[in-house]
Amino acid sequence: MSTTWLPCGTYHQNYVHDHAWWQTKFIKAKMILLLIILFVIIPLVADSYGLSILNLVGYTILGAIGVQLLIGFCGQITLGHAAFIAVGAYTSTLLILEFPWPKILMDWGLAYPISILIAAIVSGAWSVLFGLPCARVKGFYLILTTMAAQFITVDFIITGYVSQIGGRGQAFSLPPGTIKIGPWVIDSDLKVYFVMLVLVIVCVIGVLNLIRSRVGRAWIAIRDNDISAEVMGINVIKYKLLAFYVAGFIGGVAGAFWISNLAAISPEHFPWFWSLWLVGVILIGGVGSIHGTIFGSVFMVVVMEMLQLAVIPLADIYPKLLVDFLFIKEAVFGLAICVFMIFEPNGLAYRWWQMKNYFNLWPFSY
Amino acid sequence: MQHGDKTVQNNSKYNVEVTKDLTIPKLFYEKATEYGKGRVVMREKEFGIWRPITWHDYLENVKYLALGLVRLGLEEGDKVAMIGDNRPEGLWAEMAALCARGVGVWLFQDSLIEEVKYIIDHSDTKFIFGEGQEEVDKAISIFNECPRLEKIVWDDPKGLRNYNEDYLISLREVQELGRELDRQQPQLFKEMIDKGHGDEVALLFYTSGTTSLPKGALLSHNNMLTMGQHLMAVDPCKPTDDYVSYLPFAWIGEQMMSISCGLQVGYTINFPEAPETAQDNIREIGPHVMFAPPRMYEQMTRTVQVKYLDSTWIKRKCYEYSTKIGYHVADLKFQKKTIPWYWAFLGWLASITVQNKVKDHLGLSRVRNAYTGGAAMGPDHFRFFHALGVNLKQIYGQTEVAGISVVHRSGDIKFDTVGHPIPETEIKITEEGEILTRSPSVFLGYYKNPEADKETLKDGWLYSGDKGFIDDDGHLVVFDRTKDVFTLRDGKPFSPQYLETRMKFSPYVRDSWVIGDQREYVTAVICIDYAVAGKWADEKKINYTSYQELSQIPEVYNLVEAQIRQANKDLPEAARVEKFINLYKEFDADDDELTRTRKLRRSFVEKRYQEIVDALYSDDDNVHIDTTVKYEDGRQAHINIDLHIRKVKE
Repeated sequence: MSTTWLPCGTYHQNYVHDHAWWQTKFIKAKMILLLIILFVIIPLVADSYGLSILNLVGYTILGAIGVQLLIGFCGQITLGHAAFIAVGAYTSTLLILEFPWPKILMDWGLAYPISILIAAIVSGAWSVLFGLPCARVKGFYLILTTMAAQFITVDFIITGYVSQIGGRGQAFSLPPGTIKIGPWVIDSDLKVYFVMLVLVIVCVIGVLNLIRSRVGRAWIAIRDNDISAEVMGINVIKYKLLAFYVAGFIGGVAGAFWISNLAAISPEHFPWFWSLWLVGVILIGGVGSIHGTIFGSVFMVVVMEMLQLAVIPLADIYPKLLVDFLFIKEAVFGLAICVFMIFEPNGLAYRWWQMKNYFNLWPFSY
Repeated sequence: MQHGDKTVQNNSKYNVEVTKDLTIPKLFYEKATEYGKGRVVMREKEFGIWRPITWHDYLENVKYLALGLVRLGLEEGDKVAMIGDNRPEGLWAEMAALCARGVGVWLFQDSLIEEVKYIIDHSDTKFIFGEGQEEVDKAISIFNECPRLEKIVWDDPKGLRNYNEDYLISLREVQELGRELDRQQPQLFKEMIDKGHGDEVALLFYTSGTTSLPKGALLSHNNMLTMGQHLMAVDPCKPTDDYVSYLPFAWIGEQMMSISCGLQVGYTINFPEAPETAQDNIREIGPHVMFAPPRMYEQMTRTVQVKYLDSTWIKRKCYEYSTKIGYHVADLKFQKKTIPWYWAFLGWLASITVQNKVKDHLGLSRVRNAYTGGAAMGPDHFRFFHALGVNLKQIYGQTEVAGISVVHRSGDIKFDTVGHPIPETEIKITEEGEILTRSPSVFLGYYKNPEADKETLKDGWLYSGDKGFIDDDGHLVVFDRTKDVFTLRDGKPFSPQYLETRMKFSPYVRDSWVIGDQREYVTAVICIDYAVAGKWADEKKINYTSYQELSQIPEVYNLVEAQIRQANKDLPEAARVEKFINLYKEFDADDDELTRTRKLRRSFVEKRYQEIVDALYSDDDNVHIDTTVKYEDGRQAHINIDLHIRKVKE
């Protein structure tokens, strides 16, 4: 995180003010405006299609934060993050469908919120289990062990065993009305949107605060040089596993959130490609930046959506496009990453920072 | 030509009534008990935050320090010297010395050992407050040669672990002694303060002599307080204002803002983290009032000019247009014409798009009044700041009137004058054109120098040694130091300072020295700015390894020549610079070429660079220099170089 540019006349007499999020009236006004846009204006103007896209953006952000934390802040490359999202989603679903909730909790609509929390904890624990190899291996080898997490969890355990619970076969259907928060049944895109906003804001704030704490500094030290971090007295294994735990925890929240948007879940929702996709999101957004995670998520979802809109009219001329859309999507994903790696290896977050600097330094260049 | 009383009375009420009985400690005690813990009197930047110090803390620290000094044997009228960077402890020491009825003496923190020795010895200093190891080392090395010196006090323990001299004592230990004394005699501190009288000597201030050894000016409590009162009557400050103290306390201007005005208004004094971070720290605070010698403003101008050159095309264009508008609007204001609505609109546009941002970069966003004084400021620099919308004002004064006597009034600013006298101050011009001042702030006399007293003080009038006149609007115009004024070949008088300041408007020129008194033509010696000219050369892919080499590169000569030609344009024929030379080093106060306040010591440099002066008035194209220079760390270097003489083309 780069230091924020502050206008002349901004000074702090104590560390509480020095570390405050919103230090000037201008920033406060900007952030309040953003909140108004998110909570009032978008729900008023967006249609169901728009909201569903935004929900997808939110889901991508929740998934990518964990990846960002591991890769961008702790230097632990992961290619199996979809597994932990899946664990979260299945834990939450099973808790809602199978757990004998006391009536009072059901009446108060607390089953789903509690299940989100439990899903996050279970998912975190599961992530630590597959993070254990990081004590011994790093780099390429860690990529392979995290990929193993994907295949063991989703393809073997969830498909083979978890999906068989209750004898429903492959998919768990979530009957309307099962997902309830308090008195509200989450049954429309708008309601999902609000759940998403709250969860994204809570997770982003939580992670941002974590990063600037002792824990975050330890992670960054490990990322920059694990040996010197160890020399400085950081318990490297402990903090690496903590990073896996927090990443898994947020992945669990993402998974548990996503079931509110689905009518049924099946293992196909959490393919290995989704793990790869999340890594792509942070590469494009900017590694080592929470802003970047958000920018990358918005960018990827919007580009793919536009691609879809472009393909539909073209399909009239060349019908095979529609059939091959999945491959086109993957090709564009690959192309986008190539383009970013060549032209903006620091990601969208860096571009954003440059843009802000352009005006902050006005009328000079430094 | 006898000019009458030109005093402009200001009707605004004084903050504090200054009676003859009032002293700085009395005012300090009154304000400190009034504000207590509720108000912040100073801040110091440490470990990334501006650590606040309340009036209560200030009082406590000063009280125990003062009592500690008494315990160590400070008696009425004893001198207490202070040396070090600007920091709260420095101000506490000064205030403690005054409260204990001593006399404060400030030294420049970069003074050489001989200078320190001269002042400590001459002033009969009994206690010296040094900041840390560097100052303590200086004091120890002269300790045996100054028989009156008894104790050396320090406050920063860094590097002092193995210093076992018994005359060394830490500030905390002194305060501890004070605490003990306070337990025994709780009323003593208040009694000491109450005993004081306004006519007693408060400060012994050594003027940075441009010609001779420093002279010690004795300033009374009343001098200091009336001066602050009168300045605050012209431009009132608010108690909520911020002020950044970063210039040496040994300069009267800083005393005037931190002590005289600070106590009366009660604004917050902010101390930067270190001298190197001062510029950034000023930006963080965004002071409401500032007073600095012209070189600070010259530095700001240079920064802007260089950053502008390095900017991108669009930004450069925006800057150019807004500056043009700014200059036009400022000139209309100088001429006191009404600004047509379309120019007012353009001015507003320029200020919101560019100028406010530039001011933000310089830390001038919140400045209500900016003052410059202590030396002459060039009209170009002055216009530059007004074009930016900074209310910059000239101040005229000297140590002998406790700071200032004449200042511009808002809305009545002319860039070639210094404005009107402050209340209760009279200005008179003698037959010879010398500026005389009479006010309650005129000092008591020089310390141990009755001859100088006789020359300077006659019938209550202070003879300044400056030449000047009063113009049709009643503004005082300061021409130059009487002894510096030139006689040109056509017999007319001319001010070298004026020419020098005009050359300094070029970012590549750091210092200049103009020669030409009773000579056939005018010449100049230029010190280029190493950082700026070096950067320029880097970009042009011109190789150089040192200041000497860079200064002699023909392209650098071209840069300087362009500026000189620009300055020559508005000058009468006889005053134009015809030849110049780039010096192989910058002028330095450690070499006695400048005073500690960076004023050129003309007669000294003339002697030192005799060869160069001779060459400038011969037909030679080169002058050979073979000399040794001494660096700050004691190393010596041999210099053997040909300096090129350039004729300025018309």
